[in-house]
Amino acid sequence: MPYVAARGGESAILQAERLYHALKAAPTRELIRAIEQTMPYLIDKLIGEGSLYAPELAALALAQTGGDLYEAVLLLRAYRSTQPRIGYALPLDPAKMITVRRISAAFKDIPGGQVLGPTLDYSHRLLRMDLLTGANDEAPPPVDPAERPAAATYPLVADWQRANGLIATEKAEQNGQNGQNGHSGPVDPAEIPDVTRDPIAIPAPRAHRLQSLARADTGGVLALGYSSMRGYGFIHPTVNELRLAHAEVEVTHPVTGAVFSAGRVRISQAEVVSQSAADGKIGYKIGFCATLGWNEVKTIAGATLDLEMSSPDAHPALSEDFVLYHTEPVESSGFCIHFKLPHYVTFASDTDSLRKAMETLYGIPLEMAGLKAEAAKPAKPPAERTQEAE
Amino acid sequence: MTTSRLKTLTANREQPYSYAFLDAYAKRELRRKILKAIAVPGYQVPYASRELPIARGWGTGGLQVTLSLVGPQSVVKVIDQGADDSVNAANLRQFVARMTGAATTTDTLQATLIQSRHRVPEERLREHQTLILQVPDPEPLRRIESNMARARELHADAEYGQMWLVLYEQLVRFRRYMAGASYPMMVHGRFVMSPSPIPRWDNPKLHQAAHLTLLSAGREKRLYAVPPYTDAYSLEFEDVPFEIEDQRQWVCARTGARNKFMNEIPLPDGGAKYEISDTGYADKLVERAIDGPEANTLGETYYDDEGNFYHAGYLKPPRRPA
Repeated sequence: MPYVAARGGESAILQAERLYHALKAAPTRELIRAIEQTMPYLIDKLIGEGSLYAPELAALALAQTGGDLYEAVLLLRAYRSTQPRIGYALPLDPAKMITVRRISAAFKDIPGGQVLGPTLDYSHRLLRMDLLTGANDEAPPPVDPAERPAAATYPLVADWQRANGLIATEKAEQNGQNGQNGHSGPVDPAEIPDVTRDPIAIPAPRAHRLQSLARADTGGVLALGYSSMRGYGFIHPTVNELRLAHAEVEVTHPVTGAVFSAGRVRISQAEVVSQSAADGKIGYKIGFCATLGWNEVKTIAGATLDLEMSSPDAHPALSEDFVLYHTEPVESSGFCIHFKLPHYVTFASDTDSLRKAMETLYGIPLEMAGLKAEAAKPAKPPAERTQEAE
Repeated sequence: MTTSRLKTLTANREQPYSYAFLDAYAKRELRRKILKAIAVPGYQVPYASRELPIARGWGTGGLQVTLSLVGPQSVVKVIDQGADDSVNAANLRQFVARMTGAATTTDTLQATLIQSRHRVPEERLREHQTLILQVPDPEPLRRIESNMARARELHADAEYGQMWLVLYEQLVRFRRYMAGASYPMMVHGRFVMSPSPIPRWDNPKLHQAAHLTLLSAGREKRLYAVPPYTDAYSLEFEDVPFEIEDQRQWVCARTGARNKFMNEIPLPDGGAKYEISDTGYADKLVERAIDGPEANTLGETYYDDEGNFYHAGYLKPPRRPA
């Protein structure tokens, strides 16, 4: 059956959706809980791209879509867009976040110390075939506690560099656009531009840029960030500080005015530094990226892109316009798959121009180009002919 | 903020979605931007563009406009490439009906809102009808200036010289304009606009039209308008007129009609058959052939049976440069 202009299109799409679900096991509450518990890093990636901190809903989206990540992100975004904004959290102070991993590549040791935390960085990437046989089903060996427990919070590496005059100071942006930097005085959160409520305009307010990176497609940010690292850009990103943390979402109570924590979120943030001679003063310039959920590769690539986008003569593929528009997961994936939709009217219009030009330029008669009247022939659809042949 | 106010703002689980899906803030923004678009014909108005439960690039721009205008009294028609029963049109129509309770129709004459992907119906739209065109790429200057900020400056300055240069180069190389669908138009003598990928056949229908045309790109977050009774001309040089598709030889296999926009359908024997792209119109012709002229009401069409456009003199006879 032709899928375009299918007679009975409404029935066709219903059955097609049923077939999709019939080809995978039906999601259960147990499965959704198991996904949430066993795949926190996948959940975190979804939470970041969906810009909705809801691990349970992310697990539901994965179960519902059979693991199609772009579909799952769209489910979360489409749900998120219906939710009213009921308040604004206070800005996060990174020095107060409960930090489980923080490393700096810029120094051998840093105030507060390097904290390796949870990572697969130094694991041997060998498939555990024994798990398939069920021969080694017992719980993995526990973590041996350190002699001295690590601190919960850590100072910022960049603060040390600032104190030592190594960071090129930037002019504070006006109009509440400096939402990233906790050091430049109080900002009314309601004044911070919100990329989900305002159209983005290029050049983007800094808040829009950082929000877009936080919501961006991990693979897209990685591809463009990697192109910069490989030499299409001119940034050599030194990871000044990479953090995985739990952050308190602090809000002001609507009645008492007291500040309280509405809950904790997993958050990752990366700072990279590169030498800069902006405004005639040399120093290190900081690129920054943060996202909900623990997603190291995205924040390192995103922080690199933040620096690139600020370069006055960035490679076209590393300009703000290019990066922000092309790393939007819902828009890029949606537009890509829309090419499956019928385009026969557009195609017919193009074909008309092509045939006329062929006729004019090469003298191909219109009949040869298929442009002849069809009035004399019996007009039966091909499907009916096939049935007759049977 | 009081607790009772807080309660009004938090989610209501029994009625999880607003009427017409979009919340009141999103509708208010869209309506304001639509008014601005009507006030400045052809100007691309940026808007926030919410995510919908439909994939981006599948009509979310048109859908947001439809959802911000639709009411219980509306009669909604949704078409894709001219067809009411194309799978995506069926999906969007079901969504609008599910979220609003509005009536739906395939009859152009009965519709108050027509959301369309890439076609203008063959029957003439009237005053108080609104045509909402889905737009993949709102920027007619994209091929000559891909940077959106710089393209906006070109529009602000009405700096369209490169567009004319593109047309001139086509005439030099191919002795005709080569654009297929999305043929750019000058609206109200000021803004060059992409009419969305409608065939050139449909471009003239936007000129001095009785109805309102709204064009909306959800992914690109831009909407624009051609208000009723507004000039809209496809770009052309004085001595080489713009040309619509030439389908004068084609006869609809379903209805026997001529001079309506046709789909060309390849046949296994190497030939082709043709049928009217506007299925709502073609279905009415078929009904009348079976049940007689009382079967339905047929509207006047933009092109008559001889292919003459209803604004006499608007389309000029083709002329090719030597």
